[in-house]
Amino acid sequence: MNASQFGRRISPLLACIGLLCVWQAGALALKTDSFPTALEAIRAIPSILGDHESLLNILDSLRRMAIGFGLAALVSIPLGLMMGRIRAVASLCNPLLMIVYPVPKAALMPVIMLWLGVGDVSKTLVIFLGVSIPIIYHSFQGAKAVEEKMVWSGAAMGLSGFQRMFRIVLPAALPEILAGCRTGLVLALITMVTSEMIARQNGAGNILFNALDMAQYDTVFAMIIVIGALGIIFDAAFEKLRRALVRWSEPRFDMPLSFS
Amino acid sequence: MSVVPLRPGVQAEPSAHAKPVAMIEIDRVSQMFETSGRRSHLALSDISLSIEDGAFVSILGPSGCGKSTLLYIVGGFVMPTAGVAKVKGRAITGPGPDRGPVFQEFALFPWKNVLGNVMYGLRQQGVKRAEAEAQSRRLIEMVGLKGYESFYPKELSGGMKQRVAIARTLAYHPEVLLMDEPFGALDAHTRTRLQNDLLNIWERDRKTVLFVTHSVDEAVFLSDKVVVMTRSPGRIKEIVDIDLPRPRRRADLLLDPHYQKYVVDIEKLIDDVLEDELHP
Repeated sequence: MNASQFGRRISPLLACIGLLCVWQAGALALKTDSFPTALEAIRAIPSILGDHESLLNILDSLRRMAIGFGLAALVSIPLGLMMGRIRAVASLCNPLLMIVYPVPKAALMPVIMLWLGVGDVSKTLVIFLGVSIPIIYHSFQGAKAVEEKMVWSGAAMGLSGFQRMFRIVLPAALPEILAGCRTGLVLALITMVTSEMIARQNGAGNILFNALDMAQYDTVFAMIIVIGALGIIFDAAFEKLRRALVRWSEPRFDMPLSFS
Repeated sequence: MSVVPLRPGVQAEPSAHAKPVAMIEIDRVSQMFETSGRRSHLALSDISLSIEDGAFVSILGPSGCGKSTLLYIVGGFVMPTAGVAKVKGRAITGPGPDRGPVFQEFALFPWKNVLGNVMYGLRQQGVKRAEAEAQSRRLIEMVGLKGYESFYPKELSGGMKQRVAIARTLAYHPEVLLMDEPFGALDAHTRTRLQNDLLNIWERDRKTVLFVTHSVDEAVFLSDKVVVMTRSPGRIKEIVDIDLPRPRRRADLLLDPHYQKYVVDIEKLIDDVLEDELHP
């Protein structure tokens, strides 16, 4: 590893440390109860992660997030690809998408709770809705951008319509689809927390907002760190997967956007 | 046109006894495109053309004369508004592996390396991996890309990409090669080299080739027949038989007065086409 590679590896870590330093200084300067210092927040992390109950709560959240994200990908990618290739599907779904797009998905939570209760189904559904939009949109754009001649080349080889969709449009649009999934993954984490903020039953978000109710601000900020760390870990893991899948499309030089 | 029935249910082609059945038969094909503002544009008007098995035929004309559209119709990628196109006597209803396209845009599969691209059609036709790979490696060598099997399209130059595209199409043994300005995006030197190599490859197995270009030299150098088209609407202006000996060598041909005359005559034809547009 040469110096510049080392620099690239270490810079995200430096950014985190920098942020914590600013936080620490800010908290020390403000001196209010509701804003603990970074060190206090970090000291509260082991008590959360060491607690069996809290850990189960967080795992519950992650399970819902994984199911919501997985289902969304399973539905949204084929839908987006079909929108990109079949004009009738696009003209049918595009207006619907435009209506749903600006609605904050968590704002639907109270209504969904009325229908489906406060349990896993409602929360998973909200995550599903939040994740779907960017994946549909990126899959749509990716499929639309696939060169017609490439599809024709496949058709001349004897690929059927379904095979062309699955074996030409899908791989050709994959870089764009995965860009959508990456956005979707972050949104999954956000909607996961907000859904638990509204349906207060269990989960990572519930720990956070219970602590807030009880004025345990160090726990609140510790949870924020934990959720942030989860976000970074997911993003880095996804980025590794993405690179492995679409190395053929990568430009030679890439900004180091995450740990990888 | 009167048709004499030979036996019940069998109709004689008018020319069946005189020459072999045409590989490609284009019969009064017209193509209309809807353009914005509800105006429609007649891209092709009443085109009839017959191409024999093993012939190298170029379609030449100014841009917008519908020459690519005609090729897409034979490919089955575009359905004509009127008329029929046939391959070996059967009406064309869609693309098929008997007609292999090569596009100006290369249209390689970017997620596959060179070997993967060339193997794709063979694998699709159920050829076993080992056999497909062996055949593909031979083809890659034939188009001069030995050693580049594991390269991805984005790592190749334009000329190399087009070589891969040609190998990829030849791999599944189409009876007709449909080449849509295949060398149009290449620089002059690369273009000449690929023309030479294409001729060498073609002279081995003499597939039927339909070759769209706007370069007169290229058309004369490669073809048995040059179809000159007009535009708005696209019509056939003239079909010129290129009676030059084969195998053709560029160095000999450029000095050959017959070659030069063909080029000059066809350039004159195209000039007339453009002149007619200005002063109808």
